[in-house]
Amino acid sequence: MSTIIEAAPAAETRRTPVGTLRVVDPSPLNWLFITWNTMEEPIRTDHDGRAVYSMATGHRYTHGGKTLEIDVRKDVLFQNGEPLTAHHIKRSFDEMQRWEAPHPPGTWLNFPPESVAEVPSDHQIRFHFPEPDGLALAKMRGFHVSSNSFWDEGPGFGYKREGSGNGNW
Amino acid sequence: MIAVQRAKPFACTWLIEKEDRTPEVVLEANPTYWDHKRGPFVQKVVFRNSLSPADALTHCISGDGEVDIVTEVSPADAQRVMDSKFAHLEVHDANRVLVGVFNRHPNRDVPLDDKNLRTALNLAVDREKIIRDGMLGYASIIASLTPPWCAGHPKDLEPFTCDPAAAKAAFAHVKWPAGRALRIATGGGFAAIANMVAADIRTNLGIAVDVMVGEDAGALAGARSLAEGRLVPDWDLLLNFWFDISSEAAPAMIHREFFGSDGAFRVGPDLPEFNKLYTDMAGETDPAKFVKKAEAIDRFSKEEALGLFLCSPKTLTAVNNHVKFEPYATTFELAEAEVLDGHWSLK
Repeated sequence: MSTIIEAAPAAETRRTPVGTLRVVDPSPLNWLFITWNTMEEPIRTDHDGRAVYSMATGHRYTHGGKTLEIDVRKDVLFQNGEPLTAHHIKRSFDEMQRWEAPHPPGTWLNFPPESVAEVPSDHQIRFHFPEPDGLALAKMRGFHVSSNSFWDEGPGFGYKREGSGNGNW
Repeated sequence: MIAVQRAKPFACTWLIEKEDRTPEVVLEANPTYWDHKRGPFVQKVVFRNSLSPADALTHCISGDGEVDIVTEVSPADAQRVMDSKFAHLEVHDANRVLVGVFNRHPNRDVPLDDKNLRTALNLAVDREKIIRDGMLGYASIIASLTPPWCAGHPKDLEPFTCDPAAAKAAFAHVKWPAGRALRIATGGGFAAIANMVAADIRTNLGIAVDVMVGEDAGALAGARSLAEGRLVPDWDLLLNFWFDISSEAAPAMIHREFFGSDGAFRVGPDLPEFNKLYTDMAGETDPAKFVKKAEAIDRFSKEEALGLFLCSPKTLTAVNNHVKFEPYATTFELAEAEVLDGHWSLK
């Protein structure tokens, strides 16, 4: 994966959202686009598809590429007011790792089953992989980060309806 | 969705059986979104799923208020949008490829496991004509599978050019069974492109070509059969469409799917050299080295003529004139979209 673009600094003043858009999206990937309009990942892409830090603000590989350390963005709130921490990312990772094939776009987005995440501080997370994983950051494009209420009270990627998180991330 | 799983290496292909959309999906702006330079600037987005694409486009180009944005506009409809007083056309490069999958299974009567034949077919096709006449200009030429704006595209890798003499020279090395027609399969959406490819091959290689256009109803069964990989298809070449979710690691999302050991579109035996290159890239954590290894995969795919590399279709979106919207190469996101003065929802 090539160099990741820093997110632009926030504007000084926040604009109040106004108006309504009526949209028709016949794409068979609409389910994925809805997800990307409503959830965030450590990495997103810009208009040209280039990687941009989103819930991550920095990263580094250590231990010969077997460990990926990610700095977690501060001052981010979920819609319910929960402040984002590395614990949310770990929980989302652990939930994702429960399933054999969570990602409809392909199992290349899977992290190896032996992978584990640890949280050394509220805004840092380390992923330990069995082998160096040069695709780990690219995989994080499909690694949706959720609030605790999403898992505890909400749909949890179809866990309640489907009884599974396979194919729903 | 249904899943087709393979055990070794573990891989799963998800296939959409049917869509069960609610009539509307409403997204409301998160007023505390951290990146307020990016957005959101619109208070509410309503996905109107009960409208057909054709009706939606008609609404969008013929008035204000019913539909503001329609994605996936066909090139055939582009001029209608450009002629509209109410909407305009947004065109963007998209990380999508239209590629011919070769049936490389050995011991068939047509030797597509022979690089000479795959090369001859690539040299027989006029991509510029396909883009100009088939895609009405709304596509980019590709040398292999990585679109030219993506990381890992080798700058010096030239697309196959239509060269009838070189095509015939490569074809002369091939044991083509006399009287056998090449069989091209595709879904209904690319029938016109398949017929253009067929015409070029007939003209430039002097062989018969049959085009088999699948019905939409059979598309799922065909996709399932392809992903399962148990049966040897009766077609020789399948025109197939695929996409990428970023511009950073095309071999993971695209090349692997067409040629990799766990690829859903690999039709034929494993490709050990491809797998070696892919494994080498997947374990590379240095960004510059990763890009070089991704380039090597794209170059290998072209040099081995592993697919019939055609084009990268652009994304076309109809947008109301009182809406500011810039498409994405990989997705459809509305965080930056704005309604402008005069928009129906502000009146």
